[in-house]
Amino acid sequence: MDVKVTKTIDERGEVCPVPDVDAKRAWKSMKPGEILEVLVDYPLSKERIPANAEKAGHKVLAIEETGPSEWRILIQIGGKEDK
Amino acid sequence: MEAIILGLITGLLFGFILQRGRICFNSAFRDLYLMKDNFLFKGITLAMAIEMLMFPAMAAVGMIKLNPKPFNLPAQIIGGFIFGMGMVLAGGCASGTTYRVGEGNTTSWVAAFTYGLTALAVKHGGLHWILKLFSKFTVKVTPTVSANLYEPSKKIGPTLATALHINHWIVAVIFAALLFWYVFGTKTTERPESKMTWKVIGISLTIVAAFGFWSSYISGRHYGLGITGGWVSLFSSYTKGGLINWEGAEVLGIVIGAFISAIIAGEFKFRVPKKGITYLQTAIGGAFLGLGAALAMGCNIGNYFTGIPQLAIGSIVAGIFFILGNWFMAWLMYGRS
Repeated sequence: MDVKVTKTIDERGEVCPVPDVDAKRAWKSMKPGEILEVLVDYPLSKERIPANAEKAGHKVLAIEETGPSEWRILIQIGGKEDK
Repeated sequence: MEAIILGLITGLLFGFILQRGRICFNSAFRDLYLMKDNFLFKGITLAMAIEMLMFPAMAAVGMIKLNPKPFNLPAQIIGGFIFGMGMVLAGGCASGTTYRVGEGNTTSWVAAFTYGLTALAVKHGGLHWILKLFSKFTVKVTPTVSANLYEPSKKIGPTLATALHINHWIVAVIFAALLFWYVFGTKTTERPESKMTWKVIGISLTIVAAFGFWSSYISGRHYGLGITGGWVSLFSSYTKGGLINWEGAEVLGIVIGAFISAIIAGEFKFRVPKKGITYLQTAIGGAFLGLGAALAMGCNIGNYFTGIPQLAIGSIVAGIFFILGNWFMAWLMYGRS
């Protein structure tokens, strides 16, 4: 997916749940409409980060496979305040 | 030899399910607190509720005999808390760390190594004195109710049923009903990307637990699924020689099963952290897991998954402190903003 990414966090190789925690901290610091790109290689986080993003009121634009067990998650920050 | 083959088969199945279902108690507990997410916790609780009825039924028809873990209040409180902190540092509980070894997480390799080595040292080696400090608090009883479910003339750890002098079935049915009420009566967090639904996770775990308990029992090991004893067996036979036992074969099977599952799913990768210090963190976490599990008389699988379904009081205490230790460390490392 070709979009203008506001912020990228590279979470490949990180220990569970660091990718999830970093992603949550990243979207909390961003403004509505901005795009967060999360690079992960940990299957559980690939499933859990999108679920948590949706729950926090953000929009998951894409989950792309970029390599062997590597994914790129694109999240558009929602207008709702994340609690 | 039969024990090794049966253990290996159990482990292969278990590893496959652990990898597919991403079953890590560390995640299950922590997600509850950190993400307000109960997806995995529901899967695990469903399995526990079914096992609570399945194990005594298997014992009643003679397939297995129940063998609740001994009760040791200080050891299970302290060991449970240490183990709970260890899972956060290691990036996985006993089952999570073990299946991720097969997925190619090099941080889990380090954690599994210090976990097995430390558990061996506490159980049989240079750190055995720690276990001895607590040994006088160990409580075992002779079952006065539902004696047909246990091995004749063998002392067991006290259960809710033996402590209350109530038929095992009555307590099991009430406890299971409460768990079923929680599982089906409360809202579940959705995880649409997950390969397995939480119900499939729960039911498939129950099948492995039943096969595991039965195959372990007929191999002469009177307990169901576990992990710590398996790593101890592997390390012990590597350093001292001798064959591995059922549990050692089961752990080996988990690693291989998770590896096969990860390869099929295209999820195997040698994952290396960007910062080398992460290895130190998981090494310390693994040592905490080993010490904690040895003191608490089992890891999350042995206690949560095989012990609590037998209503063992020791496992219930350890299980509570696993969660508290986990929450404490998760708060310390990730919860504060």
